[in-house]
Amino acid sequence: MASNPGEVRGYLFRLAAIAVCLLALAVVPAFVDPYSLRIVTGALMWAGLACAWNIVGGYAGYISFGHSAFFGIGAYTTAILMQSGIGMPFLATLLPSVVVAMIVAAIIGGPTMRLRGAYFAIATWAFAEMLIQLATILDVTGGTAGLSLPAYLNEFFFYYTMLAAAAASFLGVWYLIEYTRFGFRLKALRDHEPAAEAMGIRTNLVKVQAFALSAAITALFGSVFAYWTTYIDPHSVLGPDITDQMVVMVLLGGLGTIWGPALGAVVLWMTNRYIWSTFGDTVVYLPILGLIIAMVVLFLPNGLISLIVGRRRGRELISRILRKL
Amino acid sequence: MDLFLQAIVNGVLIGGILICLTVGFQLTFGVLHVIDFAVGGWVMLGGYAAYWLVALAGIDPFISIFFVFALFALIGRAIGPLIYHVRTSRYARPDLMALAFTFGLFLLMRGGALWLWSYNSRNVESVFSGEFLTVGSVTIPLLRLSAFLMAILISLGVFLLLYRTRFGMAVRAVAQNRDHAGLMGVDVKRVSAYVYGLYTGITASAGVLIATIYSVNPSVGVRYTLFAFFVAVLAGLGSVGGVLIAGLALGLLESLASTYVGSRYSLLIVFGVLFLVLLVAPKGVLGRGI
Repeated sequence: MASNPGEVRGYLFRLAAIAVCLLALAVVPAFVDPYSLRIVTGALMWAGLACAWNIVGGYAGYISFGHSAFFGIGAYTTAILMQSGIGMPFLATLLPSVVVAMIVAAIIGGPTMRLRGAYFAIATWAFAEMLIQLATILDVTGGTAGLSLPAYLNEFFFYYTMLAAAAASFLGVWYLIEYTRFGFRLKALRDHEPAAEAMGIRTNLVKVQAFALSAAITALFGSVFAYWTTYIDPHSVLGPDITDQMVVMVLLGGLGTIWGPALGAVVLWMTNRYIWSTFGDTVVYLPILGLIIAMVVLFLPNGLISLIVGRRRGRELISRILRKL
Repeated sequence: MDLFLQAIVNGVLIGGILICLTVGFQLTFGVLHVIDFAVGGWVMLGGYAAYWLVALAGIDPFISIFFVFALFALIGRAIGPLIYHVRTSRYARPDLMALAFTFGLFLLMRGGALWLWSYNSRNVESVFSGEFLTVGSVTIPLLRLSAFLMAILISLGVFLLLYRTRFGMAVRAVAQNRDHAGLMGVDVKRVSAYVYGLYTGITASAGVLIATIYSVNPSVGVRYTLFAFFVAVLAGLGSVGGVLIAGLALGLLESLASTYVGSRYSLLIVFGVLFLVLLVAPKGVLGRGI
């Protein structure tokens, strides 16, 4: 893949940039107060969730309005397994929650991903609404009262867990999309599904794989979130607001780009917290979200990331500066 | 048996309103090729408009429905060109971008309503509220009956407009083939904008009826968006005629489910059936086309 010197240099440069970023993120807890640390932890979670949604929405080209379902599946699996009757340790619940989400995604994704875009969006939404109704009825999920988890009040633990999960998601997705056959197949079917099929790509299989991967990452963050907040109910982990935020973050950052979702997530999450600390609640946040989507679609269809890397002159300028360093 | 008859009557009465709710949605899909997520948002805003007209001016919802129609038709006429612009743009996936755009509109409406009017449900009083009509063993609330008749009248009006006027012919031509209709001298952009205005007007009117029967709060939108999707999917996206049967089917399903299984399960059953219908017959049960 990296055959000529230029590509090797670009590859090394990217690795170095990632290492620097990770290092910077790893030392953040030493410099900020606990309140700000919670905010940064939240930003990492939303960045990871946006990255997960982007696999299906941005790369496969299928807009899912049901990702809150997988977030909830992850959160509830962890919460149920940690109840006093079973009492599994937190880290041991991660694997079951990811596996359950992947199985559900495969069962749901198999038939729904044959549907055309609009029908897929409706089907996933119906599925998410069904799950939220189910969670309010069933006993094992505690109904509308929800479930409490054993409290573990160590902000550093959650910061580093979120950081590890987000870093693993981004690097894993980046590698899978840019450097493996799976990624090429996925992009091929997004660009022209019948043509991809004619080239011998088993499009249904690839789509379900992408959906399951996306669901697994979403569920992972759902698990960590449940343990972090120590209390979950149907609306906090299955509510449509979660999906709404994921969609908006990806659209704002840049659909189908690797780093766009992270950018969108950080910008939007910081806006959310700012509004929350200024007005005391986040009600006004919802109409702002809606307005942002409409504006992005009308005026900035490639997202914020296009402002940074889309402009050729800007990119040339940056590379010229970098060469001098 | 009486319970069954009562459930059937209730189902049909609600079904009529669901027809009115979905007719415009189907028209929009047929002409603009856009799935409008905001359909429930128009329902909610229509309900609030009726509430404020009763609260501030004392106008009965069955009269104010005409003002609401006109108001929302104007709003829709203004937004229509934007949606047309997104749908016919040179973005990579105009269909998904249009979907996202209406999703943003919906969020804007839901969030705006929450912000302005809080979570509280509001009741819309009409002269028909609290009156009953008894036929044999079946009790029919007069309010539901009159709302049903109103909904059927509006839907009939849409059908007359579609099949008996020049404008309707233009709409059907655009729905069949946008490019060819344009070549025949139909102003596709104008027709699309008017269809969107017609749709928002009808849907807000359905919202007035729904708010009068139940009540209105900022979160009713989600529910009616899903109901509209259900009816549309069952009828086949873009099929206006199929809505007549599909709307009644959903009304009966919901009524029977809440009578015999319990109302806390009725939404679960409705969503479950919608999901199954999507899997079994993704092109709709009743064929397609206007």
